[in-house]
Amino acid sequence: MTILDPAKTIAVTAIGVVSPYGLGSAALEAGLLAGKSCLAPATDLFPGFTGHVARVASLPAIAEVERYSRSDRLAMAAAEDACAGLPRELLRQSGIVMATTVAGLTEIEPEIAIDPAAWYAQAGLARAATYPISRVAASVGEHLGIEGPACAVSVACASGAIALALAANMLLDGEVPLALAGGSDALSAFTASGFHSLQALDPAPCRPFDKSRQGLNLGEGAAVLVLETLAHARSRGAEVLALLRGWGMSNDAYHPTAPDTEGKGLASAIRLAMEMAGTGIDEIGYVNAHGTGTPLNDVAETRCYELVFRGRSAPIPVSSTKSYFGHCLGAAGALEAAITILAMRSSALLPTLRLADPIDSPDVEYLRGAGRSQPLPAAMSVSAGFGGSNAALVFGRLDA
Amino acid sequence: MNTNLPAIAGIGSVTPLGATAGLLSDFDIAPQPIAAWPNATLRRAYQVQPFNPAKLVPGAKTRRLDRLSCWALVAASLALQDAGLDLDAMDRSRVAVLFASGFGCLELTESFYRSAALNGWSGTDPITFPETLANAPACHVALFHGLRGPNLTLGGENFAAEIALLRAASLLRHGQADRAIVIAGDALSPAVYQWYETAGLLSPACFVSDPPARTASFVPSEGVAAVLLESAAKTERKIYAQFTGGCYARSGDPAQAIRDLFSSAPAMVFPAGDGTPCSSDPPAEVFRSLAGQAFEGQSFSRNDARIVASLPVADGLPRSGGLFHLLLALSRRPGSGPALMLGTAAGGAFAALRLEVPSS
Repeated sequence: MTILDPAKTIAVTAIGVVSPYGLGSAALEAGLLAGKSCLAPATDLFPGFTGHVARVASLPAIAEVERYSRSDRLAMAAAEDACAGLPRELLRQSGIVMATTVAGLTEIEPEIAIDPAAWYAQAGLARAATYPISRVAASVGEHLGIEGPACAVSVACASGAIALALAANMLLDGEVPLALAGGSDALSAFTASGFHSLQALDPAPCRPFDKSRQGLNLGEGAAVLVLETLAHARSRGAEVLALLRGWGMSNDAYHPTAPDTEGKGLASAIRLAMEMAGTGIDEIGYVNAHGTGTPLNDVAETRCYELVFRGRSAPIPVSSTKSYFGHCLGAAGALEAAITILAMRSSALLPTLRLADPIDSPDVEYLRGAGRSQPLPAAMSVSAGFGGSNAALVFGRLDA
Repeated sequence: MNTNLPAIAGIGSVTPLGATAGLLSDFDIAPQPIAAWPNATLRRAYQVQPFNPAKLVPGAKTRRLDRLSCWALVAASLALQDAGLDLDAMDRSRVAVLFASGFGCLELTESFYRSAALNGWSGTDPITFPETLANAPACHVALFHGLRGPNLTLGGENFAAEIALLRAASLLRHGQADRAIVIAGDALSPAVYQWYETAGLLSPACFVSDPPARTASFVPSEGVAAVLLESAAKTERKIYAQFTGGCYARSGDPAQAIRDLFSSAPAMVFPAGDGTPCSSDPPAEVFRSLAGQAFEGQSFSRNDARIVASLPVADGLPRSGGLFHLLLALSRRPGSGPALMLGTAAGGAFAALRLEVPSS
């Protein structure tokens, strides 16, 4: 791939992560390469909940903790991890684009809907003030002293990927010299109850792309990527971890919750991203799939890959890393972008865990069993969500 | 006119002033006693009055939708009607939908919480849950009109609507969409109203029918405004305004930001509300002070700028009221020329947008 213009090329220069593996991208990479599943039975989310979840065991202590939701705190920890070593003045001028779907729902109890005045009298006002989706981005700004624009994104499970796309647009527009972009979502009874009511949860550890799959598992975490133009990264001597070569966004306009069964909307987002990246179907070496493990999603996604990658010289390698630590909702797209970059840098094709009998497809190689090593000049992360929104991100190696 | 810049080619709104395609004609409204939920004593707000969405948007099925989703769908549809856009004649995958909100779908979120309080978390309603998601309104707009372009739901601590406008313009600039429907607003709910009241933010006008003059506190409002943005080169229809640039920040120097947007003082200013419900300074006064700093040394004097003051009905819509403020300003036929839409907030956050209003 040729770099046309460093001022118009987006570089990823740092990755901050809080995942069920712990704090930092090294812990994430080690856990993934070891094939370790973080999913465990949950008995304390609410009575009647039977399922597996993946939790973040501990978070760094912060002052005024009551002002921040768990989603805020996950985001603050990931952002701090990403920004270690950044010049303070550069950080001050930076922009923030943070995705979330849960935000402060973790801090609010059902009784608020019965008698709000009584609930505020008992719980105070601060907990409810964490409810708006904008609080996650604002919390990152407050925590790191960032004065630039702060934008919240909430596009269901495509949120994290879309945050990266919008941050890239901001950089191309010259709005900010550097952008922190990512997503953060905590486990909450509200969302667990919602997915439980929809019967979308697999009571056992999830099996994305397996014919016997029964649903998803919920996880939690946050990822924040530092984005800047390649020219800017070079001017300050920053290490370039990867290039964000292309991004595409679309909507199915098909159903409020179900994906387009033919995968056309998702295919449109992928094609837009590949067109922007200037990559052909043979140049994408790996797809980190949305791969929730729900019956509808995984078939629609398979049809999508068939639409896009048919004619490729070999089936496209695809896996779902949600099999390692569940579906982190608004954070998923950002976490999986980080995983895609880590996979590229370590030349690792990560398998889907517990995938025994994959969906049949002549055009897709569902990675399973032991991982394998293969140079990856370019790879893709794919996200989709309720409401029909889709996003695809194409990453490339600078040295490719 | 720079035809490469995005233009506002259609407007729709569902506000306490009614459901309207195009500019508004009547701004005379007083807060009304809250009817949407029971109150032991008088509580007032600017409220969207009940209406039949299907009468305005034939075929719209909104019975199961959150009020905010319903209003977003109607406002967006009215903006499309106002623009006279024939969606059948265009590639719907090139039309983006951007929705900005402070609080999202509160009605059904509170309903979901209520079902959890009454039945336990294992007894919640599967129909309601998807409608609690922040992006449900944008989803319904896309679904109803078959719009397959980028579909974004955005928030901001103070200026969600302004952020959505800027991001929409960016999508158009980068060729990621040809047109964008930008929608912004919020709906009141018992929990939000009570939060304001407990925090002591509400105006006396919320509690008495004959309140003192406008104070630093506010009367909560609700509603949704929508605009259709498209390249001025693509439209043969009327243009309400061209959107020529802007910025927002958590902190910094708004006077410098204004200088960066305008080489000389703008012909008019649309104070866009300050994004917080309890500013000690009315936005117009904040602007006068800022403009003095921004254009010091030029021929500008503070009285040159025509300040199209915002109205309490829009001031009561914190976070997402920017589009409503803009709609009110344009509806008051402010004249033509470059305009600054400015919002400032406690803590130093600001949003500054540059518009070009054509002569009518």
